[in-house]
Amino acid sequence: MRTARFRRTRRASAVAFVSAVTLTALAACGTSSSDNGGGSEGGGSSDPSAPLDPKTKVTLTIDCMPSAAKAAELKEWKEDVAEFNKTYPNVTIEGRSTPGQCLEPPRFTAMLKAKSQPDVFYTYFTDLPQVLDNDGAADISAYVTDKTVPLLKDIDPNVLGSLKQDGKLYGLPTSNYTMGLLVNRKLFKDAGLDPDAPPRTWDEVRAAAKKIAGLGNGIAGFGEYSAGNTGGWHFTAQMYSVGGEVVDASGKKAAFNNDLGKQVAKNLHAMRWEDDSMGKTQLLQWGDLQKQIATDKLGMFLAAPDDIAYMVQQLGAKYENFGMGPIPGAKNTLAGGNNYMIKKGISGDKIKAAVAWLNFKNLSVGKGQFAWARTKADGLPVGVPQPNFWLGESKTTDDAARVENATMPVANFKTFMDNPVAGKAEPPKAQEVYKVLDNVMSGLLTNKDADIDKLLATAETQVNQVLAHQ
Amino acid sequence: MSTRTLISPAQLAKPRAKALYRATFALVVGGFSLVFLGPLYWMVSSGFKDTQEVVRTPPTLVPGSFAPENYTRAWEVMDLSTLLFNTLYYAFGALAFQLVLDVAAAYSLSKLRPVFGKAILGGMLVTLMIPATVLVVPQYLTVLDVPVVERNLLNTPWAIWLPAVTNAFSIFLLKRFFDSIPKELLDAAAMDGASPLRILRSIVLPISRPILGVVSIFAVVGVWKDFLWPMLTLPDPSKQTLNVGIYSLSTGVPVNVLIAALTIASVPTLLIFLVFQRNIMSGLTAGGLKG
Amino acid sequence: MSAPSLTPSKAGTPRHSPPRAAGSAPPAGRFAKNLKRNLTAHGFLIGAVVCFAVFSWYPMVREVLLAFQKTESGQTTWVGLENLATVLDDPAFWQAWRNTLLFTVLALILGFAVPFVVAVVINEFHHGQGYLRLLVYLPVMLPPVASVLLFKYLYDPGYGLLNELLRFLHLPEQQWLQDPDLSMLSVVIASTWMNMGGAALIYLAALQGIPGELYEAAELDGAGLFRKIWHVTIPQTRLILSLMLLMQIIATMQVFVEPFLLTGGAGPEGSTTTVVYLIYQYAFNFNNYGAAAALGLLLLVLLAGFSAVYVKLSRAEDE
Repeated sequence: MRTARFRRTRRASAVAFVSAVTLTALAACGTSSSDNGGGSEGGGSSDPSAPLDPKTKVTLTIDCMPSAAKAAELKEWKEDVAEFNKTYPNVTIEGRSTPGQCLEPPRFTAMLKAKSQPDVFYTYFTDLPQVLDNDGAADISAYVTDKTVPLLKDIDPNVLGSLKQDGKLYGLPTSNYTMGLLVNRKLFKDAGLDPDAPPRTWDEVRAAAKKIAGLGNGIAGFGEYSAGNTGGWHFTAQMYSVGGEVVDASGKKAAFNNDLGKQVAKNLHAMRWEDDSMGKTQLLQWGDLQKQIATDKLGMFLAAPDDIAYMVQQLGAKYENFGMGPIPGAKNTLAGGNNYMIKKGISGDKIKAAVAWLNFKNLSVGKGQFAWARTKADGLPVGVPQPNFWLGESKTTDDAARVENATMPVANFKTFMDNPVAGKAEPPKAQEVYKVLDNVMSGLLTNKDADIDKLLATAETQVNQVLAHQ
Repeated sequence: MSTRTLISPAQLAKPRAKALYRATFALVVGGFSLVFLGPLYWMVSSGFKDTQEVVRTPPTLVPGSFAPENYTRAWEVMDLSTLLFNTLYYAFGALAFQLVLDVAAAYSLSKLRPVFGKAILGGMLVTLMIPATVLVVPQYLTVLDVPVVERNLLNTPWAIWLPAVTNAFSIFLLKRFFDSIPKELLDAAAMDGASPLRILRSIVLPISRPILGVVSIFAVVGVWKDFLWPMLTLPDPSKQTLNVGIYSLSTGVPVNVLIAALTIASVPTLLIFLVFQRNIMSGLTAGGLKG
Repeated sequence: MSAPSLTPSKAGTPRHSPPRAAGSAPPAGRFAKNLKRNLTAHGFLIGAVVCFAVFSWYPMVREVLLAFQKTESGQTTWVGLENLATVLDDPAFWQAWRNTLLFTVLALILGFAVPFVVAVVINEFHHGQGYLRLLVYLPVMLPPVASVLLFKYLYDPGYGLLNELLRFLHLPEQQWLQDPDLSMLSVVIASTWMNMGGAALIYLAALQGIPGELYEAAELDGAGLFRKIWHVTIPQTRLILSLMLLMQIIATMQVFVEPFLLTGGAGPEGSTTTVVYLIYQYAFNFNNYGAAAALGLLLLVLLAGFSAVYVKLSRAEDE
């Protein structure tokens, strides 16, 4: 039985076996080959401005589909896909969802580097330079016309402008916001404050916070983030509110290490440590303050109105309990928003399908996200002032529909609506700058003996470094 | 326990020592139960509290409210079955690759001793010294575009499986173990004309069961515990591991639902552990990493 | 010292270094056979070697290259020491090293010593060992992210269980994760709770292998409890202790998920920013792979020095 020949085959097969395993391992990884069907630009109709031919068969991957945690929005998404498929039966919308934030800056950076974004991907307005650096988004100027997006002319040019570079359009907006002061009406009443007159200056905020914190039971008067880039985001909002800047006009130098910066920092530090009105738990990031205010543990914080939808839907909060005033200080308010971009290199037909879907879902008055009657029926808040990027006739129609279906008491937003504050765009390299400023926030809010001058000086050095690195 | 330990039986036999022993024993059992079961109790019970109670200061030791719907909601929101399936798929795939490729390599280095074998082993052991996080950037770039074959492994299990093979510690353990198998045993088999593969299969592997157990546990636990790497290489939510899935959930749901989700996510492996604890424990200890 | 010997189940096999094949070089005439032997051997090796080449060695080389490169809108250029200068200019640089050192010291005190003490204690008990072992190992089985988030909840200064416990004991409440002086310790405590089970079980196995006569002999010499530990227990488990020390240091350097989730990574005033977290931050927050690689390279050089010392020491004892 053990002949020499047998031995040889066995040995050879051993070699073959092990190397085969490895080779298969490496060769079989074909599931996502690096080129994603680039080059097949403009299949079907060659005219980019022509709307999508309903007969075209394409599959679109898209992120930021509502997750199961947003049951109502997910239901609406599915209805919208079905509705959309009546016109375009051959377009398959393949949504991806994540229960947390759709976009986390570090993962987003990695995704762009890997070019692993889906065909249609969600970004913040501030992400455009980074996306273009990574050659990630298609120029859709030719695809977006009044034929493919009929209401194009009524979209606020400032909003569209933040999606353009060198005159080319790279995205379509889903929502925009300006920051204000979100208040918990119940706690305001409990503390003997008037919920219809939220504080308008930072001194008033401080006084109100002190009163609310006086209720005890672990209730904080005013809350702030200090981690996950959101600390820096809010520090920026506070700087803007007192008329300051974070990055100077040249876009190359930090501009917060000055009297205004110190004023903002001192105010926060005093509220946290002298008044003890900001709660003990810090290092919070997006999502945490919403949880606190939804459980009546927090009196107020800086927020965009669309936070209310999130709290109602995911945290089980009651929308009547919230109200909003303009940002304290009111010199400027941070304005931002989010949008979808389309991956560079996908086929012309896919781009057309993507534009058609985004138009239907996000840019049609009375449909998709602006179908207010349905929003009301699904128990989501209607009557929140934002997102609202419409002008002209569309604005009139849309505003009327909001009022007609309003579930939010309009009075709760009256001070916010009646006192508009000039919006100010986020700084260049926003996410990087925010990351650095997180440390300023966490320093102020966690260290009783924080050295404000040193915190700001350190952050200044780091921000300058970030801005210098292109 | 019949083996003689630090404290002599004679000493223990004294009445005072006996009392002391009992007291210490009670203290240790009580303390350990508190330290290790306490947090688990806290997790399970907090999952039943309503949104208000779960963030009450001071906290309540026994839930005053009863909200089992947290668990239903957590289950709906989390999609545990997909996450768990993904994680096990990655873990056992990684285990299979490690068992085949690393055992073959260790066997070769230990018994077949090719030229450059020592250099190769040295090259492998060097990687032990490098924190994974340091290499995460170049490794990530490599996975995006694997040299020579030019594949992007992102969102595929290969991104987990193949890097798992580069576990120098397992190779090292296996090789040390194989080294201690008497050469005469293998030589006799080779005289009989058995091929190296046959020797590996019918002589080496059966003896090596304990160490294979240890290496297997390390392999599975390695994937089970990993967070940063799967977070980067499996961005598609439907392909995520349990760890990354829970992390995504953490900002999106109220505290009580999140805690209920943590409980649900912990149950399957705790059950597996309780059922197989004998095997797992003996796998870890009988491997006898003895001084 | 030698690396741990894992005694095969055929117990009693004496431990000795394997015969050196190099000593018996084959005669020249058997070249062909030798070649075939080598081919077979490399055939067994190839799978692992390819994986190492692609996923370890190549990235190591690339790490070095990246440290001296810069990528600007798709264009990669050589920039010499610029990345290194960026890293050294960063105010967080020295803080990160200080934090890493602090973390390592704490992780060694808690993560290395505690499981050993626990194993020694458990080993003394004549009953309940199974239960205690089970308890200690339980946390290892939880998904780490679940454990970390659970700890975040336990640590909360308001509604957290730990402060409630302190109140119950009439001790001052702590800010745990929010206090720059305490945050690192809190991270290490959580990490130790989660991970000590594996080490404790391994120590326990090692302790059970110590021959009882050694203790008896020590007692005859009049040794007390601590001298017995010092002169018998520790020397007898020294091999496994030093191996676990090495593993603990490596694990310490890798730690990511605990600070990332407990303190948002950077921590209060950057007090949990470790070198490894700084690398992550450069790469994935600042999109600056060059700086990440430069800092990584510094850490590599340091660790290489460290491991050279380690290898030298272990070889010295091996001989």
